[in-house]
Amino acid sequence: MLERFNLQGRSIVVTGGGRGLGRGMALALAAAGAKVMVAARTEAQLLGVVDEIREAGGTATHFVYDATSEADADALVAAAVGEYGRLDVMFANAGGGGGNVPNEFWDYPTDAFEDVLATNLKSAFYACRAASKQMIEQGDGGVVVPTASGTAMRGNRTFAYPTAKGGVVSLAKSMATMLGPHGIRANCIVPGYVSQRPPADDRERAEREQRGHFIPVDRLGEWWELGPLAVFLASDASSYITGQTFIIDGGGLAGGLGPAGFRPVYEG
Amino acid sequence: MTNEYPTSGFWDLTGKKAMVIGADNPAGGAIARAYAEAGADVALCALTPDEAVMRARAVRRDIEKMGRRAPEYIMDVTLGKNVQVTTRQIVKELGGLDIVAVAPDLFLAKPIAKTTDTDLNRLMQVNFNAHFFAVRAASEEFRRAGQPGRIVCVTSVIGERGLPNATAYAAAHGAVYNFVRAAALELGPEDIMVNGIALGWMDWMDDRIQPEDEEAQRAVRFTVMRRRGTPEEVGPLAVYLSSEVATRYITGQIFPVDGGLLQHL
Repeated sequence: MLERFNLQGRSIVVTGGGRGLGRGMALALAAAGAKVMVAARTEAQLLGVVDEIREAGGTATHFVYDATSEADADALVAAAVGEYGRLDVMFANAGGGGGNVPNEFWDYPTDAFEDVLATNLKSAFYACRAASKQMIEQGDGGVVVPTASGTAMRGNRTFAYPTAKGGVVSLAKSMATMLGPHGIRANCIVPGYVSQRPPADDRERAEREQRGHFIPVDRLGEWWELGPLAVFLASDASSYITGQTFIIDGGGLAGGLGPAGFRPVYEG
Repeated sequence: MTNEYPTSGFWDLTGKKAMVIGADNPAGGAIARAYAEAGADVALCALTPDEAVMRARAVRRDIEKMGRRAPEYIMDVTLGKNVQVTTRQIVKELGGLDIVAVAPDLFLAKPIAKTTDTDLNRLMQVNFNAHFFAVRAASEEFRRAGQPGRIVCVTSVIGERGLPNATAYAAAHGAVYNFVRAAALELGPEDIMVNGIALGWMDWMDDRIQPEDEEAQRAVRFTVMRRRGTPEEVGPLAVYLSSEVATRYITGQIFPVDGGLLQHL
């Protein structure tokens, strides 16, 4: 049973792997035996992750890439194949932004909307398309895992981001249907509120503790907690699981019928 | 900074004490074996004192070969008091309790018109009440010990979607789905995580996917992966959801192990 979690020799790409959740995934994947390629825009951050993995005795390399470019996605997959000989798993995790909304919805500019879609939805399509093409050529299956967001399930004022991430959830489900007959599984990671890194100082620590009170488990998630989920989804431990959204949010989406901590009064 | 967070050891249950209710059926048996392989002692609860006990005993032999303890119990999951008392006994026998998997399963194929009061009560009791009683008893033990707890409720994708001639079963498992969510919210602040595993068409379910029924075979081909699932494909997810390290921020979720069956809507 435990051997199902082993990723020895698997070639895995993690986009957005320079920091935050992607870094958490990359470190755990490498620790489980995978040969990892981390991809993002900022080379210095990628190098940090690669160093950290190598210091722990793992195998890693990096690729500087713009998630909004389809040519870069194709080149990324080619680079992984060049480096490791094949590609087994794609974590299309790059994304973000869209948080600053200066306009009301009815005045929201088209180019801002398109930017958010490019970073968060098209990026997942480009990466998973390129990966699946390679996996089909290899002919022995594979795994694609885009990262969406809890906001996709509920929406918010920064509507473009949840809209794009909602598309990512649907993309994963459609990929499961289209790629299933080829032995390629597709599942989606849906993180709730997760800290991108350890707190910089006491003020930040206190701030996070305060925000944690809005979560049913009474704290925010931490970036490294995405690690075990990535290993589970990449490995044979999830061999009969496809088309699913894996919500990791401290219970947020299981509730939502009132503010955190609300419960009908029990007079016992 | 490297030591502030784990990057491995997620599936290590060494020293943990687990209880599996319904260890006599293939899903429960696979979960019990998986827990033991990950390092836990596992109390095995069979639901009835007949051949179920023999099936649980086969699980026990496998687990004892791994060098773990696997005491057997007969648990009447239709009686809350029996679940509570047996849980108490198990805590004493194992010297603690960290993990509970609840995997009872009683299927019945009948149209609504033919489903008797007795049928309905029995299906609700075994498929749903058992989960409530188990979580009530286990959370009390976790609280008494001041320890975190991990609970895995094994349910069915039939609790998420409708199916003709399976209304009582579907309703009971629908109750499990929302019980998992509500219990997770109530127990989350105490570091008790409650999650579910929803099974699709598995290779032992001849009671609902009858081998001689052509329509049933079509239902299997209807899944994205075009095959039935195996017990071995249930164990790893249960270990994941029972790990104190791996599952700290996941609660109130039901994860299908269904080969993509729920994709069809």
